[in-house]
Amino acid sequence: MLSSILASGLAIGAIYALIGITYNTMFATSRVMSFTAGQLGMLGGVLGSMFILRLGFPLVAGLAATLLCCAAVGVATEFIAVRPVLKSLEQHLYVLSTLAFALLIQQVTAIEWSTEPQPFPRLFGIGSGIWDEKYWLPVVTCAATIGALEYLYRRTLIGRAFRAVAEDNFAARALGLPERNLRVASYALAAVVGGLAGFSGGELMLAFFANGSQLNFYGFIPVALGGLGNNRGALIGGLALGLFQQAANFMVGGIFASVAVFVLFIIVLLAAPQGLFGSTVARRV
Amino acid sequence: MLLTRRSLALAAAATSAISLARPAHAANEPLRIGWLASLTGASSAPAIGFNRGLIFATDSINAAGGVKGRKIEIITRDTQGDPTKAVNATQELISQLKVDAIWGPTNSGESLATTSIMARSKMPNLHPCVVDSLIDVKKYPNAFRIAPSNSQWDDAVRGYALKILKARKIAVIGDTTGYGVTAAKASAEAFKKDGAEVVYLANIDATQPDMTPDMLRARDAGAEVIVIWSVSTGMIARLLNTRGTMAWNVPCVGHPSLSSGEIASLVSNKSYWDNVYAVGYKSCSYDSAGKLPTRTEEFVKRLTGKVDLSDTLLWWVAAGFDAINLVAKAVETTGSSSNDAIIGYWNSLNRYPGNFGNYSFSVEQHNGYPTDEVVMSAANSAKLGAFTLAPGYS
Repeated sequence: MLSSILASGLAIGAIYALIGITYNTMFATSRVMSFTAGQLGMLGGVLGSMFILRLGFPLVAGLAATLLCCAAVGVATEFIAVRPVLKSLEQHLYVLSTLAFALLIQQVTAIEWSTEPQPFPRLFGIGSGIWDEKYWLPVVTCAATIGALEYLYRRTLIGRAFRAVAEDNFAARALGLPERNLRVASYALAAVVGGLAGFSGGELMLAFFANGSQLNFYGFIPVALGGLGNNRGALIGGLALGLFQQAANFMVGGIFASVAVFVLFIIVLLAAPQGLFGSTVARRV
Repeated sequence: MLLTRRSLALAAAATSAISLARPAHAANEPLRIGWLASLTGASSAPAIGFNRGLIFATDSINAAGGVKGRKIEIITRDTQGDPTKAVNATQELISQLKVDAIWGPTNSGESLATTSIMARSKMPNLHPCVVDSLIDVKKYPNAFRIAPSNSQWDDAVRGYALKILKARKIAVIGDTTGYGVTAAKASAEAFKKDGAEVVYLANIDATQPDMTPDMLRARDAGAEVIVIWSVSTGMIARLLNTRGTMAWNVPCVGHPSLSSGEIASLVSNKSYWDNVYAVGYKSCSYDSAGKLPTRTEEFVKRLTGKVDLSDTLLWWVAAGFDAINLVAKAVETTGSSSNDAIIGYWNSLNRYPGNFGNYSFSVEQHNGYPTDEVVMSAANSAKLGAFTLAPGYS
């Protein structure tokens, strides 16, 4: 039983963590919580299934096509749902615009794809039982993504530019950094991360249009638990959430597992409103 | 203008002539049947099947000269599975288009919203929706069900588990939707009433990626049958995959969705779909020799080449066909398309031989589908929209 909790808990937790990182990446350059993050995860599964199973693409080409499409949706999010409301950030209009865009993505997928879950291809055919690839693939993908992002942010010029915009976009602009282009690029990058979450978790979650809203919701919890903008916090929060959720499934049953998750979430936020790994920000009064 | 006794008498005569003439629109006007169809959207598959039967029935009757010379005109409104759209369409069909009867809606959510509207105008209404409360002869004397109710499904599942599979320890699993919770609870209570032991009762979130916890608990509790009440093919496939991985060949019985074609692509191994039995219907089931009942066989012959059965269920097509014929027969027999005439005729039916079932209605009973015709089918045996009877039936 414990091995089963660990296998499925870590797998689903890694998917939540990747969606949390998607939220963070979009937030870093725009200060906007884009509620399209979960839909990008859903698209990763649906597009992966479409390219590989329906259109017969080989694995690598299918993955590339999926991520390219997700990146295009990320860029569209920035243009359609984020850019028009950036001037009035304090009115939180982005909640409405990104939620509306997320709903649009979900409905189009339901109409054009299917309202029933569709199969996702077995990617490598490695492992069985708790070592089945559907359990370890999201974990490996999550680790690789975190490593790649760390490398990007710390070792490359464009990564440093992202960080500069995230820390102070006025100063970054004053230094001549193309803040708008960097924001578009960060939305494309976030969408690729979201797409990877859905693609690597496709065997576990299937290619299903309704996964989007679930990922939106559960992917937000690691962000809140780990601290907004903190990828390491999102990783730890995501894995903890996955493990706790699966343990609750075993201990109290599925119908009460969600209740248990939210009780814990509220307790953590009451104890540490800034998140477990976030820092309190001084506010000028 | 001067009002004289003669002009008053003439006016009264003209008024009574007009009012007497009203029902006579039957003579050469088409027989209008409203069709509340969820032809697009999430729950469109049944309506598409019903629609094929309905069009086939209408074309057949019209080609033979109509009903006492009146052609049947179907007025379709696509409700997209949305109760609000269904309400608007119902009002339009009754108030503006003046239909003679309505077939549909075909899902319970829409029907719950429209049934009372139809009752207010005494509109003759046939529908195939399963929610028990949709039939109430006092509140809705105009509404008639030509498919089984949820209780009848439950009876069939329970009967199969207890009498044919001879199971005494039952696990009941539903999803967390309103339907899943209600159906699982009612099913568990009915099993207990019949003396069985419900060793495990659970509602599972349909998107839960791993069903191992629930299947382990059911196995450890000693379940001899798993009863599943869910329309989520994803959840059903995960349960079957987990059962297969555990190498636990316990029979699964339950909701018709267990036989959905989607399951075939979602199970990891085709054998995981064996020993699974879904609610089905005697009229649309192959016997052990692979033959349909004679009446259905003849119906399928008539459909061949005209109606595609490869991507739908035979009972949907048959029920759509029967609905139109029930309206036509009422008008033909009574010679009238008034609400009272149609409802009165339906209330007099005793084992009316439809293609989907033998319908019986009375003033006290508007659940027209016979319980003994609800059976269990081998879930993975679909062929041209019909299924093989589950083992154990004669």
